[in-house]
Amino acid sequence: MTESTESVVNISNVWKVFGEQADAAIKAIKDEGIGKAEVLERYGCVIGVQDATFDVPRGEIFCIMGLSGSGKSTLVRHINRLIEPSSGNIEVLGRNVSNLNESQLRELRANHIGMVFQHMALLPHRSVRDNVAYPLEIRGVAKSKRWAVSDHALQLVDLVGYEDRLPKELSGGMQQRVGIARALASDPEVLLMDEPFSALDPLIRMQLQDQFKALVAQLQKTTLFITHDLDEAIRIGHRIAIMKDGIIVQIGTPEDIVMNPADDYVREFVQGISKLKLVKAHSILEPLESFDGSLDGAPRADEEADLDQLIDHAVGTDLPVVITSNGQDIGVVTKPRLLRGIQGGKDQ
Amino acid sequence: MSDNESNASVIAASDIEVDHASLDASIAEFASQNGDYYAKQFHRIHSSTGLLPNTFNLMAAILGPVWAAARGVWGMFWGFLILEMIAWVQIGRGWWGDPGANFFERAEGQRERAEGFLERAEAARAAGEDPTRFEKLAENIGNAAEKSEALGQAASSEALGILLAGLGLLLLFKALQGFYANSIYEKQFSRWRIDQKLVESGVKSKNILLGIVLVILIGPLTIYKFTVDSPLEVLNEFPEKQVSSIFIDSDKATLFTELAGWLEQKIDNAAIAGAGAFDGITAGVRTVLDALGLALIGTPWPVVMLVICVVAWRAAGPRVAIFTAASLAYIALLGYWAIAMETVALVGAAVFICVIIGIPLGIWFGKSRRAYNAAEPVLDLMQTLPAFVYLIPIIAFFGTGNPPGILATIIFGMPPVIRLTSLGVRGVPDTIKEAAVAFGASRFQLLKDVEVPLALPSIMTGVNQTILMCLSMVVIISLIGGGGLGKVILEALQYAAKGPGLLGGFAILFVAMVIDRIVQGAFRRKDQEI
Repeated sequence: MTESTESVVNISNVWKVFGEQADAAIKAIKDEGIGKAEVLERYGCVIGVQDATFDVPRGEIFCIMGLSGSGKSTLVRHINRLIEPSSGNIEVLGRNVSNLNESQLRELRANHIGMVFQHMALLPHRSVRDNVAYPLEIRGVAKSKRWAVSDHALQLVDLVGYEDRLPKELSGGMQQRVGIARALASDPEVLLMDEPFSALDPLIRMQLQDQFKALVAQLQKTTLFITHDLDEAIRIGHRIAIMKDGIIVQIGTPEDIVMNPADDYVREFVQGISKLKLVKAHSILEPLESFDGSLDGAPRADEEADLDQLIDHAVGTDLPVVITSNGQDIGVVTKPRLLRGIQGGKDQ
Repeated sequence: MSDNESNASVIAASDIEVDHASLDASIAEFASQNGDYYAKQFHRIHSSTGLLPNTFNLMAAILGPVWAAARGVWGMFWGFLILEMIAWVQIGRGWWGDPGANFFERAEGQRERAEGFLERAEAARAAGEDPTRFEKLAENIGNAAEKSEALGQAASSEALGILLAGLGLLLLFKALQGFYANSIYEKQFSRWRIDQKLVESGVKSKNILLGIVLVILIGPLTIYKFTVDSPLEVLNEFPEKQVSSIFIDSDKATLFTELAGWLEQKIDNAAIAGAGAFDGITAGVRTVLDALGLALIGTPWPVVMLVICVVAWRAAGPRVAIFTAASLAYIALLGYWAIAMETVALVGAAVFICVIIGIPLGIWFGKSRRAYNAAEPVLDLMQTLPAFVYLIPIIAFFGTGNPPGILATIIFGMPPVIRLTSLGVRGVPDTIKEAAVAFGASRFQLLKDVEVPLALPSIMTGVNQTILMCLSMVVIISLIGGGGLGKVILEALQYAAKGPGLLGGFAILFVAMVIDRIVQGAFRRKDQEI
């Protein structure tokens, strides 16, 4: 986990139940532990988010992963109060979102939170530049200033030369880059990304993921990134929250989630994930003493080396790979251990 | 696949057996009575691949519409009730009707008149005058009588033919019902499987009763009316006077006169009570009209012509500009200039008011489903009510002349712009609205930057339609004293003046086409082209 400095987004015990009898339904869920089918039957309510709690420190990319209908979009829309919570607390930059009045809320949305949508949601009658500048226009920034800012944002997403085009003249990937530029234009502290790359084809998606990751690292934006694709979550996220039926099932680093899935649901998800770049040497090493035999000429690798690098070391020799930490030998990774590691930490 | 335990194993389509048991249960539930029979028949229908029916339902053939009613097949009930009625009327006409009666009656009358003439010829001869004229007339009428007699004979002898034709038709319809009843019923079964609540199934006593009552009410009366020579007077015409006299104890007054008198009283009272408000509206409309009239007629004609042509060119291109120039030349050369400009001013004033009121209303209806639901019947009424109907109350409240004419035009022309504006506003994608809100847009900014611009193509279509509706209406308002080209047409109509009427008609046509072309051209924006 990244060093927790300052909490930017703090969600605690947030519930969202859609329907007239939401309060009664929440009480019943808390007291009796009834499931979503029974909630629907008894109260005519649909569970959106059930008791979500997490904290996102500054600069972190926090991925929320789940299948469609798992409540991830609903959860994120609480942060800029596009959806009102049924109960619970949402703090953004230390301000309780629920207590803001109309104009304070608009100020928060315009100045501090940028959002990118799955279906781009660009204004079709405005040029790319005016689309990017729209958040500034809402804030009442002068035209010369907002055009300059907009051009800068478009530079960041590598769209120089397209400023005066209409959105429909651009490809899907370019349109989504416009969407990202728009979210960045008002220089917000928080970015909400609602499945931004889901509608794009795989190759473009990979490019945008890399581009986005680099951009956010450079700009130090606190990001909540929704996706239904675990691969994407692992590529992009510092931490991942996995949601199912409105409940956050597990929160952890990509390695955490892959190596120690919290339940069968998560396990099923991570099964197909390649561990090569995720699993580090320190999580599969055995103590030096457990290997009896000579380690002369054995290859050496740092404890932060991933499986991919370990394989590179191991192919040239019959000996195990010696793992070092700050130049000190701390353990070994034998061939069987390495192969099991690739399989994903199956019991030996 | 090695998974032998799986329930759904893959079978070649040709080897799949039809599972009759579950289907039979479903059919039995659907039919409720004679389930076995229908199961068997439906299976035969399901198994057949031909176009012709392969089952025959004797009950359906014999009972006809009553069977259909009992089974709740109402489409078949009405269709075959009408067809059978046609057959029965033929049978009735052939059996007890007298198809020759009319001719015999006429022959009788003609013979009497011929005799009358013969008598007058006799009298003339006795008086020593020339009887040939009367004899000639008598002979002619006598011939006519014979002709009528012959026609009557022919018609009478046709009676048997009609009877047989009627029987043939009846048999044919019965056979059709027998052959197609099960197929139609099977279709109903298929629909019932999709929606068991809405589609009728089984045999319901309520349906049987309704079917029998309908047949008894419709059948005998219709057959009686068509076959009996001089049926009861009460069947020919609704006995309005007699019914009225039940409610109103008076010889002269009827329900109609009472109601009409009452309404007139009310309207007069309302017109007097609201005179101030109505005069205010009229004055407002007149202000708009006068301003436009001054611009179009007060400005020197070469300036107006030039401006119209340039506008046409800028908005819709050179071809429309040339057409516009030609149209204006036609109008001016035939002396319609001032009067055509009055028409344009009328349309312009009506459209201006429609747009000023209609677009805000449309936006409101687009955002509030409830308001739209409440307004929709009113909009429907405004569009479907024939113009002639509301011209009368408009005269009562607003008098005659151009301003009331514009009000009538507005009633007719406003619905499209309201409808299409609300359609456009409702059609703005939620995702885009959500994005604007997420970036902090206020309600007004959302409306100004997102909803109205995105609804604009639809709004413009509405404005365009409103313009065309108003154009078609300005002719009609000449009936209540409106001026312009409509007046030219009305006058031509009154005197059946073909030449002036046609020339005036073309002038209206050109005005309409020029306005339409310019408006269409102006609304075609670059970002709407696909």
